[in-house]
Amino acid sequence: MKQEYLTFVRQFKDLREGVQKLFIKDLTPGPRKYDTKYVKAELSRDPEKMKNGDILQIRSESGVLIPEPWGIRIIEELSESIPGHPWEDVFKAIKEKDE
Amino acid sequence: MLFQDHRDFIETLKKTGDLIEVTKEVDWDLEAGAIGRRMYEIGGPSIWFKKVKDYPEGYTLYNGSLGTWRRVAISLRLSPETPVREIYRTYEGRLDKPTDPLIIEKKKAPCKENILFGDQVDLYRFPAPMIHEGDGGRYIGTWDLVVTKDPETGWTNWGMYRFMIHNKRWLAGWPQPTSQLAHQMEKYYLPRNEPMPLALVIGTDPLAHMVATAPFRLGEDEAKFAGALRGKPIELVQCETCDLLVPAHSEIVIEGEIPTDQIVPDGPFGEYPGYRSGTMAEGVGFRVKAITYRNNPILTMIALGVPIDDSSIAASLTAGIAMKRGLKHRGVPVIDVYVPPEGVTHLIYVSVKKGGVQVTKDVLDYFTARRVMVSKVIVLDEDVDIFDSGQVLHAFATKCHPGRGIVVKHYEGRANSLTPCYSPKERERLKGASVAFDATWPPEWSTEIIPIKASFKTIYPKEIQEKVIENWKSYGFK
Repeated sequence: MKQEYLTFVRQFKDLREGVQKLFIKDLTPGPRKYDTKYVKAELSRDPEKMKNGDILQIRSESGVLIPEPWGIRIIEELSESIPGHPWEDVFKAIKEKDE
Repeated sequence: MLFQDHRDFIETLKKTGDLIEVTKEVDWDLEAGAIGRRMYEIGGPSIWFKKVKDYPEGYTLYNGSLGTWRRVAISLRLSPETPVREIYRTYEGRLDKPTDPLIIEKKKAPCKENILFGDQVDLYRFPAPMIHEGDGGRYIGTWDLVVTKDPETGWTNWGMYRFMIHNKRWLAGWPQPTSQLAHQMEKYYLPRNEPMPLALVIGTDPLAHMVATAPFRLGEDEAKFAGALRGKPIELVQCETCDLLVPAHSEIVIEGEIPTDQIVPDGPFGEYPGYRSGTMAEGVGFRVKAITYRNNPILTMIALGVPIDDSSIAASLTAGIAMKRGLKHRGVPVIDVYVPPEGVTHLIYVSVKKGGVQVTKDVLDYFTARRVMVSKVIVLDEDVDIFDSGQVLHAFATKCHPGRGIVVKHYEGRANSLTPCYSPKERERLKGASVAFDATWPPEWSTEIIPIKASFKTIYPKEIQEKVIENWKSYGFK
């Protein structure tokens, strides 16, 4: 049974396949649903093609759901938070620290 | 009856018929939010969800503390039928007597009945609702009260800011970058690279939550105004992990700190303007160090959205009076300010003793001087009852000159990024504009040329009005 996760992007065009760091929310039903993790993961447009992969639902910055979910394979669970200053854009902070 | 806490308020609402207890199990994941939202939209009572899915008995959810003017009147110990104008007058009058809070011992504080420290901290212990489909997470802080302090001056600020669960010991929040919390952070903690202590208070005296929505000036202490509204000091108690003081009768107090060097993503969230408009991932992280709570804690929430709800009602009252005071302070001949809840603090009515374009410009200058939460202002003559939107619309439609009666001001760095009509670029740069509509007669017009309003009260002689009123039933009318 595949696990289901959710992530947010500012706009769908920001999405890219491959290995990257991102925040994901666990959609497993129960009292801890939506728990957030920062992970290193591989993403694919086609969940069927991803071996040992899970499902990744994706929403835009206004919460619009992309019709077709992607595949995700979590490589590593990272820290709870990321370095940055209050009110700093989290996406930019991830990108800058990744480069 | 004087409310000591949210529970007293609940008991009163039961008696007045302004509360429904739902004993059927309700899911915290969207169902409670959807019920609460629908109830606002039909103008119904507040709701106490007594059985929440996935949670043990005694862990309950409550929606809609001050979601109607009736409940605001009850919170102020007025008759539920009190007209809005009278509620404004009462609130304004009571603010003149700030009352120092009373600090009580921890052992006497109900919010200390249960205390979780360190590894015991688990935010999932409480049935935080997923309020709207597509939100960024479970917002445990909606109808809340956030306490922060300026350590140099000792000034304590109360605000109402959204906070969602990130994981079991982190929250993510978005106090606006133009907020007083942000001011304290930027003035003191960021330059020193010190984490900012914060207490998130859930479920206390409704008047304490109400003043948390008020735009008091920097340095003004909301706890004193809560006492003023109550007519008795509010009881505070010290936190377990810092020197912040919180209402002692709160249901839940989440203590922790905002680090200056760590962040987590917040949002998006369906916000008070009635939209989820893309503000996300630019907030603060809140690392939780302790949670204190009452036995059988009641988690208060707002299924926030299109007006009217708790947010738009409370802000109508608190912002309206703050704006009136501010305009007076600035020398504007203001008579009244009304913030129609339907306008979600984006639209403001201001009546003045003497109008004209210059006064309209002065009004707009006030609203755009610092952080700008208002985008549209209608300035009206004193003969218009600004608590009656029908009268305001009539005056606006007929008295605002489409060419010379409109004043626009543009600004950057201080706009309200929750204003839905702003583009993503404008939101990012806090760039916006405000407009004031002059719906007053030009002061240079002599009385002989001012059009006469054709209403019963203005176009008939007094004796005819009295005769008609006196004989009304005899004409065969009811």
